[in-house]
Amino acid sequence: MAARKLQIALYWGAGCGGCDVAVLDTNEFILDIAAVADIRLWPIAVDGKYKDVEAMEDGELDLTVFNGAVRNSENEHIAKLLRQKSKLVVAFGSCAHMGGIPGLANFVTREEIFTAAYLHNPSIEPGNTTIPHPETAFDGSQLTIPRFYKRVYKLNDVIDVDYYVPGCPPAADQVKAVFEAVIAGELPAKGSVVGASERAVCDDCPRVKNEKKVKHFYRPWQIMADPDVCLLEQGILCAGPATRSGCGVRCPSSGIPCRGCYGPLPNVVDQGAKFLSAVVSIIDSKDPKEIEEIIDGLPDFAGYAYRFGLPSSLLQRSVRT
Amino acid sequence: MTFEPKIVGFLCNWCSYTGADLAGTSRIKYRPNVRVIRVMCSARIDPTFVIKALAEGADGVLICGCHPGDCHYTEGNYKTMRRYPLLKRLLADYGIDDERVRLEWVSASEGKRFADIVDDMTERLCELGPSLVKSALATDAVER
Amino acid sequence: MEEPRIGVYVCNCGTNIAKVVDCDAVAEFAAKLPGVVVARSYKYMCSNPGQEMIVQDIEEQSLERVVVAACSPRMHEQTFRRALETAGLNPYLFEMANIREQCSWVHDDGAIATEKAQALVHAAVNRVARHEPLERMSVDMCPNTLVIGGGIAGMTAALELADAGKRVYLVEKQDHLGGNIARVDLTAPYLDSARDILTYLVTRVLEHDNIEVMTESRVERLDGFVGNFKATLGSLANAADGNAAVDVGSVIVCTGYKEFDAARITHYGYGKLPNVITSFELERMLRQGRIETKEGRPPQFVAIVHCVGSRSEEYHSYCSRVCCMTALKYAHEVKSALPKSYVSDVYVDMHAFGKGCEDFYRQSSEVKTLFLMYGRGEHPVIRKADPGDECGMLIEVNELLSGETVEIPADLVILMVGMEPREDVDDVAHLVSISTDKDGWFIESHPKLDPVATTTDGIFIAGACQAPKDIPDTVAQARAAAARILARIARGKLVVDAVYAEVDEDRCSGCRVCNELCPYVAIEYDETKRRSHIISALCKACGACVAACPSGAIKARHFTDEQIFAEIEGVLE
Repeated sequence: MAARKLQIALYWGAGCGGCDVAVLDTNEFILDIAAVADIRLWPIAVDGKYKDVEAMEDGELDLTVFNGAVRNSENEHIAKLLRQKSKLVVAFGSCAHMGGIPGLANFVTREEIFTAAYLHNPSIEPGNTTIPHPETAFDGSQLTIPRFYKRVYKLNDVIDVDYYVPGCPPAADQVKAVFEAVIAGELPAKGSVVGASERAVCDDCPRVKNEKKVKHFYRPWQIMADPDVCLLEQGILCAGPATRSGCGVRCPSSGIPCRGCYGPLPNVVDQGAKFLSAVVSIIDSKDPKEIEEIIDGLPDFAGYAYRFGLPSSLLQRSVRT
Repeated sequence: MTFEPKIVGFLCNWCSYTGADLAGTSRIKYRPNVRVIRVMCSARIDPTFVIKALAEGADGVLICGCHPGDCHYTEGNYKTMRRYPLLKRLLADYGIDDERVRLEWVSASEGKRFADIVDDMTERLCELGPSLVKSALATDAVER
Repeated sequence: MEEPRIGVYVCNCGTNIAKVVDCDAVAEFAAKLPGVVVARSYKYMCSNPGQEMIVQDIEEQSLERVVVAACSPRMHEQTFRRALETAGLNPYLFEMANIREQCSWVHDDGAIATEKAQALVHAAVNRVARHEPLERMSVDMCPNTLVIGGGIAGMTAALELADAGKRVYLVEKQDHLGGNIARVDLTAPYLDSARDILTYLVTRVLEHDNIEVMTESRVERLDGFVGNFKATLGSLANAADGNAAVDVGSVIVCTGYKEFDAARITHYGYGKLPNVITSFELERMLRQGRIETKEGRPPQFVAIVHCVGSRSEEYHSYCSRVCCMTALKYAHEVKSALPKSYVSDVYVDMHAFGKGCEDFYRQSSEVKTLFLMYGRGEHPVIRKADPGDECGMLIEVNELLSGETVEIPADLVILMVGMEPREDVDDVAHLVSISTDKDGWFIESHPKLDPVATTTDGIFIAGACQAPKDIPDTVAQARAAAARILARIARGKLVVDAVYAEVDEDRCSGCRVCNELCPYVAIEYDETKRRSHIISALCKACGACVAACPSGAIKARHFTDEQIFAEIEGVLE
């Protein structure tokens, strides 16, 4: 049988476009992909319409690389469409994997988001109270836009996902590794997290680790951190111990604490809860009042702990939403 | 039917679980709403356990350990003491009422105290009504 | 996951459980749970037939897991684990649901209690399905013993061990051995001399080759675990002496008691009225052979007041157990020293339990002691007598048997002060990781089944530090503790619990978050491998490191995340 080119779609849901850029960051490797694959849909880079996808046979696509979370009805609709047309679906990047940064919106209500974005936003013309509605009658016709959901979902909340590639964004060499694996047909067990380590960031982090006792937490700009010593033991909140490695330790190597984008370790069901447990364990105090003061140095801890994975946490969202 | 809150109690083996047993041997009656899970030390109580219990439909979670200074493992309860306040802040961000998760120190001789705590917490949760966590997650799956 | 074959046994505990919980309904409920192949309700699971039922089912029904819903696991977990072993099943493939102490004994409503029992059984079934067979560790038993406290309990225990050829380190805070018995004259009820008992013991202890006595010393630290403790001993007399470290396999705590401070009860006038004295002050007079008032005169009227600090809601609710017989002993000693004196005994209830005590009580009546009974919760009032009175003080008592308020004369009043825990009881508890009860006495492992052991393996208690007791009971307890230790030494090896934490080095990132957390310094960091490691023999399974490990790389054997999640799901389903 003549070599058939791989049929590929790349799609973005609720995301920032960084994951698409990460694909482009593979530089000339993108040409190797183009040589062996037809990119049938990639809204950011390649022409291709939803109707073209709708016209495909089921399973016609070999691979869909889906980045972004599911925030609205369009995200879900296209996710389901691509699932139907695709043999493999990869959740690509933190948003598709765990909900990502958009998922942090699950701590607030849709109404609060709309109020902040469309009513009390300094760039809104005074008196303009327009907020998006899924359906609007205009000039005798009915206009529709995607419906904004109450909360954010990760990709596998709405469709079955074959593989997960973590990262915000995934590191370029891992993007490459994923495509190479698909091209070569060497696939791991379904449901695997690919392109990541089974150990935490600390395993690859070159900083020296000592026993840890912390009396005070600092924001990274508040102190001159020792460049060779573990950030956490210097009192800088670093999610490295609670985060899968595979990223190349990009952040701690640049003096920036890990924010957790590669998600929890394989044995961990809730990254934020585990991170919390680790962080408080190094607090050096037995006095309830002093403990409160020390954790005052961790403002918006929940935002940090679930920066990339609130929708994939056990509680997923605020009960208020 | 009146609302009967479900409380998951995580009790350390040496003090609090023994204290709860003492309430039994002393035949002290208390509200039947707590379901106890025994751990060796309150320091074993991973915040994940508390969150898991809430996600599974607990209306409240009660954490009990030895009094500070009186831990079978010397300092395990101080570890719990450090974990709890940040966990409470985290849960507040999830919109979970402050009173749904409670940390109490109960010694092996405080059977009465354990019973009183369960009664009081049950009472407070009755006033607060059921936790919405589980039902909210269930509706999310069908109603976006 | 393929469900293992589970057997569930619901104990009725006679009627203790069954009168509230519908045990048959619980068994029927259990029978429908995943993996459960047999579920039975039975009168007494801990009885021989109950255990045999389990053994037989394991063999005939090929059970792989067992759940017993009964009393607290603190009561019978070991019993049922042994039953599993008898049937050739690993003892850790067992779980108990506590439906007695935490269900039938604390709830009245049968329907609700039954539902709760079902939830607890559900959790246990969920959990046991995830249990793993665990192998217990065998460790060496160091034949040396540390005895803390050189009173009668400590000396007796030390001699018992030393006579068996074992080395004993006897640490005493004071500069001499003897403890409280060194302050006593005669003993009740046979009026034999405390001094004789003491001299015999002290001489033997000091001369014994196997006992190293360290007076004016204290235990600074105790590290290690059963069979393998390291005790750091320091001198109180001379800090420059430095600390000595000794290896011991067991520890017996015999720290005794102190007497209640009579000045706390103001209307007895102790500290203000010079001739109101405590029982120990009278003992001193008796030992010196002269009973006299502060003015140096033999008292004509002697009054003895019971329950000073004991059996009172304000002070100690417990009975100090020795004061009643000691009071009778005083009646005898005073009468024999001062035959013309009048002795009155002001008591609440006369507690004359124990061998020879009722006879002793009768003899006391025969020596013409005047017994006056007052009500519990009341206090006789002692005041200075008027100038014309023929006595120094007057005691007003609401006498219960006559129903009249009477005033009795007294030149010397003896307050029978109760026993209370020593000031340093919390420090000692902390030092050896044991607990105290609401009154401050050390808690035994089980009041009836295991009265000299504690919940910390290798630490034993004897004498009045466990609760007020007399000399015969103290001696019995001290010898019992020694016997327990000798039995272990004889075996040479100790089997320690298979429950401990372990690091999965394939998951450990070497972040070192756990390193500072272990109170037993069981966590080592391997600089070369850049991994943390747990020395299992040192681990006491608290699980602090397990909860803290952000990688989920530390596993608490028998308390795994998976097992606890399964329990959470079980209690809430």
